Amino acid sequence: MLKRHRNFFHYALDCLKKYKTRTFVVLIAFTIAISMLSSILFLKDGLEREAELSVSLAPDITVSYLQGGRVLLLPSSYIDKASEIKGVVRALPRIWGYDGKGLNTYTVRGLDLSGVEVDYGFSNLVKKGRFLVPEDAGTGSIVIGELLAGVLKVDVGDTMILLSESIEANRFTVVGIFSSETTIYTADLIVMPIDDARKFFKIPEGYVTDMIIYTDPEVPVDNVAAELSTMPNARVLTKDILLRGYKAAYGGRGGFLVTFWVILLSAVALVCFSQATIVGRESMFEVGLLKTFGFTTLDIIEIRLIESLILGVFSASLGMVIGIVYDIWFKAGIFAQSLLGWAFLPAEFHMPVYVSFPSVFSLYAVTVLPLLFATTVPAWLNAITDPELAMRRAAA
Amino acid sequence: MIETMNLTKIYNPGTPREVVAARDVNIRIDDGTITILRGPSGSGKTTVLSMIGLILTPSSGRILIDGENVTRYSDYWKALYRRMNVGFIFQHINLLPGYTAMENVLIPLLCLDEDVLNYKNKALELFKRLKITERVGNLVQQLSGGEQQRVALVRALVRDPKIILADEPTVFVDEETARIVFEMFGELRDQGKTVVVSTHDPRLIKIADRVYTMEKGTVVREQEA
Ligand SMILES: Nc1ncnc2c1ncn2[C@@H]1O[C@H](COP(=O)(O)OP(=O)(O)OP(=O)(O)O)[C@@H](O)[C@H]1O
Ligand SMILES: [Mg+2]
Repeated sequence: MLKRHRNFFHYALDCLKKYKTRTFVVLIAFTIAISMLSSILFLKDGLEREAELSVSLAPDITVSYLQGGRVLLLPSSYIDKASEIKGVVRALPRIWGYDGKGLNTYTVRGLDLSGVEVDYGFSNLVKKGRFLVPEDAGTGSIVIGELLAGVLKVDVGDTMILLSESIEANRFTVVGIFSSETTIYTADLIVMPIDDARKFFKIPEGYVTDMIIYTDPEVPVDNVAAELSTMPNARVLTKDILLRGYKAAYGGRGGFLVTFWVILLSAVALVCFSQATIVGRESMFEVGLLKTFGFTTLDIIEIRLIESLILGVFSASLGMVIGIVYDIWFKAGIFAQSLLGWAFLPAEFHMPVYVSFPSVFSLYAVTVLPLLFATTVPAWLNAITDPELAMRRAAA
Repeated sequence: MIETMNLTKIYNPGTPREVVAARDVNIRIDDGTITILRGPSGSGKTTVLSMIGLILTPSSGRILIDGENVTRYSDYWKALYRRMNVGFIFQHINLLPGYTAMENVLIPLLCLDEDVLNYKNKALELFKRLKITERVGNLVQQLSGGEQQRVALVRALVRDPKIILADEPTVFVDEETARIVFEMFGELRDQGKTVVVSTHDPRLIKIADRVYTMEKGTVVREQEA
C-alpha cells in the first residue's frame, strides 16, 4: 500500500514543477497574505498574553473613587472601611500617575511597602537588583522597567533625577530592574515607596489614587466586590473585569485587522481558483488519461490533495516565519501603531510576540482549506466524467 | 472473452447535435485472438473500442466479460479492471506533454503498489525493439508523430496487459515499424493475450482471427479467419 502513496507523492511534486506559473503565483500570494496575517495574529496573541500575565500580577480587586463619571482621589478612610469587610485580607493604598516628556514617559507607582509580603508576583519580576523593602521608605529607592532603564541609561546603584509635575527635581536611586517578561506593563514602570510618590505628585495627605484589595481565597471575589461597591462613589474592578477590558482593547483592534486580512485571503483563494481553471483544460486531459490507466477517482483526488497540502503547508510556514521575523526584527512596522496605539517605538522595545497553537492552526487552515477546495473540486468533477469524454473535450 | 450485446452510444441525446455513434453492436472477442475493427471515418470504431475498454459508458446495451455483465459496475471497479488488464493505444496518441518519453511510459504505473523503476528495463527493451532508444530522455512534444506513437505503444505494453486495445496504432509510423508492430501483436496473441485493433492495414487484417466492418455505427460484416 505504501509504495502507491509514495508514487503519488512524487507525481504530485512533478505536477507542482510542471505547472510552474500556477505554483509560483499561489506560493507568492499565500506567503504574502500569511506573513501579514501571522504578523498581526502573533502580535495580538502576545499582547493578550501580556495582559493576562499582568492581570495575574494584579491584586484581586482595585477600588477607585468615581464622581460624576470622573476618577478622583480616594479618601484614605476608605482603606480602613474596606479592611473591615468580610473576606478582605489586606487593603493597601496606591498612589500612581504618569509623567515625563516625549520618549521618556513613564508610569510612577507608589506602593505601601508594608504590603510587600502579599505582593509576591510583582517582586518576582525583578531581574536585577532587588524589590523594595519596608526600610526603603523615604530613601528615594526605586525599581524601574528594563526598557526605561535602557532609554535613560541607568543601572542598579545609579542615581537619577526625575522632574515632577511641579518641575521640582527629585533624586532617586535605582535598586532594581524589572525583567521584560511582561514588556508592555513593566516596560515604562517606576515603582517607589508610597510617600515618595505622594511627594512627587503632590497628593494631599488623607488621599490616595486608589486602593488594592487582597481577598481570602475561601470567599468568592464577587461577594467581596459587591460588598465594596456599597461604599459611596467606589468603582470596583476585579481581575476578571480588568482582563476582559484589556482583551477587548487589543483584541478588538486586532479583530478589525484580522477581518481585513481574511477578506484579502479570500481574494487570494479566488486567484487560485482562476489559476486552477487556467490549467483546467490541461489537467482535465491529464485526469482522463490517468483514469484510463486505472487510476481511481480517489487516487486522483489524493494526488491533488498532496499537491495542495505541500503548497499550502509550505507557503503558510514560510509566511509565518516571515511574519515572526517582521514582528521581532522590524517591530511589526505598520501594524504596531494600529495594535498598540503607539506611533513610535524605542529601539529597546521588544515586541510581545507569542506563537499560539490556535493561531498557527487557523493560519494553516485558512491557507490549506481554500487550496484544497480549489484543487480537489475540479479534480473530482473531472474524475467522475468518462475518461474518453474528458480527453476528447480537453483536446477539442 | 469479451462480448457486447446491442451496444449503443448516442452523444448529446435529445439535442440537435445528437449523434448515434454506435447502434446495436454485437461483437465477440475471444481470449488469445486478434480482432479487427474497420470501416470508414466516423463509423464508430473509436466509440466501440472505448466502450469495450470501459472508458466510455454506453447509452444502452451490455458488455459481458467472461459472461459477467459489467456495464453498470462502479467506476471504481472499472478503474481497477483497467489497471489490472488493459493496455490502451489511442488514435490521438495522448502522451502527457512536459514529461520525457520514459516518464510517459512510467506514469501509468504509479497507481500500482510497486516501485515503477522496476519497469525501466522492460521499457528500454521495448524502446529498443521499436528503435527509439536514443529518444527516451526527450520531452515528448519534441518527438515526431511516428516517434510519439511508438512511445504510446511502449506505454501500453510495458506492464504486460492481458488485453491490448489499439486504435489505428500504425498511422504515423513508417512501413518497417508497422511491420514490427504487427509482428509484436502476433507474438502477444501467441502468449495468449487478446488484441483488438482498429485499422485499415491489410497486413494486419491478413493475420487477424476475426474482422468486423462498421458503417454508420453498425456492424455490417463479420469475417472469421
Ligand atoms: N464526444 C462526442 N460528442 C459528439 N459526437 C461524437 C463524440 N465522439 C464521437 N462523436 C461522433 O460519433 C461518430 C463516431 O465517432 P468515432 O470517433 O467512434 O469514429 P471512428 O470510426 O473512430 O472514426 P475515425 O476513423 O475518423 O477515427 C462520429 O460521427 C463523431 O463525430
Ligand atoms: Mg477513431
